[in-house]
Amino acid sequence: MMRRRFGATYWRPASERSDVGKGRITAIAAVVLVAFCFVIGQLWYLQVLEGGHFLDASDKNRLRIRPVAAPRGVLFDRHGVPLVDNRPAFTLSLIPRELPRDPDERDAVLGRVAALIRIPFQELADSVARVASDSFLPVRVRRGLALEDMAKIEEWKLELPGVIVEVEPQRTYPSSRFAAHLLGYVREASDEQLRQGRYRRGDMVGQSGLERLLDEHLRGRDGGERIEVDALGRPVRVIQQSEPQPGAEVVTTVDRRIQEAAEAAMEGKAGAVVVMDPRSGDVLAMVSTPAFPIDRFTGTIDRAAWMRVVQDPNYPLLNRTIQSQYAPGSVFKIVITAAGLQERILAPLDQVYCTGEFTLGTGTFRDWKPEGHGEVDLQRALVDSCNIYYYQAGLKIGGPVMAKYARMFGLGRATGIDLAGERFGLLPRPQLRRGRENWLLGDVVNISIGQGPVLVTPIQVGTFMSAIANGGVLWKPRLVQRIERRDREVLWSDPGRVTGHVELSPVVWGFLRRSLVAVVEDGTGVPARIPGLEIAGKTGTAQMFANSRADRGQDHAWFAAYAPARDPEVVVVVLVERGGRGGQVAAPIARKILNAIFFEKVAAVEHAG
Amino acid sequence: MIIGIDRRLLQNVDWPLLGAVLGLVALSTATLANLNVVRIGGGVVVRQLLWVGVGIVALVLVASVDYRRLVRLGPALYLGGLAGLAVVLVVGRTVSGARRWIGVGPVTVQPAELFKIAFLLMLVWFLVSRWAQPPTLGILALLLPIVAVPFGLIVRQPDLGTALLLWPLLIAMLVGAGVRFRLLGGLLVAGLAALPLAWLALRDYQRERIMVYLDPVRDPQGTAYNVIQAKIAIGSGQLLGKGIAGATQSRLAFLPERHTDFIFAVFAEMWGFLGCLVLLVCYALLLVRGFDIAAAAREPVGRLVALGATCLLAAQILINVGMVTGLLPVVGIPLPFMSYGGSSMLVSMTALGLLLSVRMRQFQ
Repeated sequence: MMRRRFGATYWRPASERSDVGKGRITAIAAVVLVAFCFVIGQLWYLQVLEGGHFLDASDKNRLRIRPVAAPRGVLFDRHGVPLVDNRPAFTLSLIPRELPRDPDERDAVLGRVAALIRIPFQELADSVARVASDSFLPVRVRRGLALEDMAKIEEWKLELPGVIVEVEPQRTYPSSRFAAHLLGYVREASDEQLRQGRYRRGDMVGQSGLERLLDEHLRGRDGGERIEVDALGRPVRVIQQSEPQPGAEVVTTVDRRIQEAAEAAMEGKAGAVVVMDPRSGDVLAMVSTPAFPIDRFTGTIDRAAWMRVVQDPNYPLLNRTIQSQYAPGSVFKIVITAAGLQERILAPLDQVYCTGEFTLGTGTFRDWKPEGHGEVDLQRALVDSCNIYYYQAGLKIGGPVMAKYARMFGLGRATGIDLAGERFGLLPRPQLRRGRENWLLGDVVNISIGQGPVLVTPIQVGTFMSAIANGGVLWKPRLVQRIERRDREVLWSDPGRVTGHVELSPVVWGFLRRSLVAVVEDGTGVPARIPGLEIAGKTGTAQMFANSRADRGQDHAWFAAYAPARDPEVVVVVLVERGGRGGQVAAPIARKILNAIFFEKVAAVEHAG
Repeated sequence: MIIGIDRRLLQNVDWPLLGAVLGLVALSTATLANLNVVRIGGGVVVRQLLWVGVGIVALVLVASVDYRRLVRLGPALYLGGLAGLAVVLVVGRTVSGARRWIGVGPVTVQPAELFKIAFLLMLVWFLVSRWAQPPTLGILALLLPIVAVPFGLIVRQPDLGTALLLWPLLIAMLVGAGVRFRLLGGLLVAGLAALPLAWLALRDYQRERIMVYLDPVRDPQGTAYNVIQAKIAIGSGQLLGKGIAGATQSRLAFLPERHTDFIFAVFAEMWGFLGCLVLLVCYALLLVRGFDIAAAAREPVGRLVALGATCLLAAQILINVGMVTGLLPVVGIPLPFMSYGGSSMLVSMTALGLLLSVRMRQFQ
């Protein structure tokens, strides 16, 4: 019936005779089934043979490690007062993967950030260019963001994809330049340090001072979170969490109050102060001026400010207490006196008439006092720092013996202080001129008043003066008492170390002490005198080509002292570069420091209580 | 006509075929339900099930009508389809750069999808016409505009995948229509020779996809992203799959188009190689029954309708799975009965209805 109806229309299907039959259908089915086998083969390859590899790839897709910075260990002074602390700081970071992929749009976002918080655009572009563009790890572009800048970023958040503000612990200091050289600054690991492979990009690393020396202990161990993220990088859940291990705490030997007093006393001067405890070698204060702005170095410093510091003719980065060498000047007369008495070459009662001039061969050597000191014995010569006396004494003692005693007092070699970059100073070796008949007499004369080929660092003078104060024990200057974990477990402690002894007969010790007290009582050190405190000290003026009057003001001023003289508790060494005469410039600074140590102590404790 | 279904017809319903399809629909629903894709206007699962319902109605309607009647309507449906393709170019909704959808009340339909059925019926009508016997080169030349016009319109949308699908369908129909192999071979060679011209006609992004197929690491964040993420999803399923909760590639949206064209990768990640085997066996069962219906048909119209419907499904399945597993370049083709999408479901169900129609009437 149906067929007839079709046949009646315009459309007439082909007759059944033209049907090709099942053969071609079977062929097509076979092709399709072969194709299915290909698909199954591919699935076998992807899922069974390479499945593990793809499983890793899928985990890499969804799992991110988010580092949680460990708070850096705190440095304390000897009384438990913090020298440096941490506070939460805002850090501006870019997440490369979340920045717009289109270069123009990305530059637009970076441009907005640059304009908002006034960073050079190039700086932003460079820091993003340094890392892979699909990285999820934040790239820190500015640390220590000001509150209002952070507010601006938050306000524009929607127009700034990939720009975030993180909160990280950051170093904070009592004042901008506080103990800058001693503590050292902390900065993001440099490219050089990254190449060494010990740090990750963005790690904060101690770059100088104690922060660098103790970096391993201070930095602690960063924690981390394994988080699962979706395709847009949004965290879905935290899978695993490891708490950051805070850095160890360091108890130093420094007394923050003395450090601050010494810094205040050196205000506006270039030079160095070392305050030590002669009974243990503890460094109570260590000041080098001018100092650099340690707080700015810790954040992101712009290139111009950095160059200003690096190219400053006063070298603020130099730690003058250990890295600068100066002629000791008349401070060296203590060594000559000790050598002459102990070797029985000088006698206390020997008299010399000082005219203010001394002629050796064709050369004329002058005293600092043009009219001369008149009749002087050894003590008077030391107290008034008479050069003429010491020229002759030096010639009598001879170069080798002077050098031997200087070495015995720890000069000419490193003190071994726990800071990098200590200089050794300079001392002629006793056998220096063995090839010749004698030392050059001019050198001998110069050395006898601490000029010529003799150089010392302020810390060497500190250990040397401590040995005078404590009767001959040379201590290695100690900066760190102990390092302990937060739970008070001590990881490391420094019991102190004696590096040498100065063997002098008691008579010589007695003579030196009496003389050094007299220096402050009625000699060149009078400006350091404090009523009610017996101070022993010696002034020094390290001449710099000082034969013309115009250069007089260019002399380095020394003052090395200890107090109380009968039972010494502190040694104070002051050096003022191009300051002038030791007694007039350095001694008053020492006086301020000693005054702070001995007479402002009670007030400070009351204040603290 | 519709209501008066002969009881003898019902005895010939192909239950294994229907069983395979219902199994696929169940797997699809389960997969979609675990993807938590949110769409405006109700969940994906609800909408998909609605479309399954619509599809089943279409299936019953198509199966109950004699397929020869439908073939007779072939030219009319074909012209209507062309009109739909033309209209979509003018008033169609643009989604991510492609103008493929027309809004009809609350739903949107893809004319190109529906056109596949009209094209299939048109080809059958043409090839079994008495005046077209035997199919010589001269006769076949008339087919060229019949394929080229819709191809051009669909490529314009652009929807290269659906447009390309017309060609394997045509070839299968020519084979099934008894075109001599020498003539077929000649046509294929001529077609391959024309390929360089086709390259010139492609859009940049389409060329890029083919380049990515040839060199997958070309641009890992850009065009190759889909391919790489799909491979990761499939591979990470390993032998037994990561289960529903563990399917991170799919659930965390690393896989793009995961509820539509790339749903096979989702399934592979969740159920692994063994799950894929089950799925592919379902499809193979479906296709084998389809070819069986074509082979069992006793006259050329039924044979070609069944062959065409089967090959339409087979081509989509193989191209989709091939592209998701990285065997073929990425072209947007949904996986029949699995991918989310109303038009696709409707077309697949209609093709199934044609198969059933032929089966039920094979003894007439």
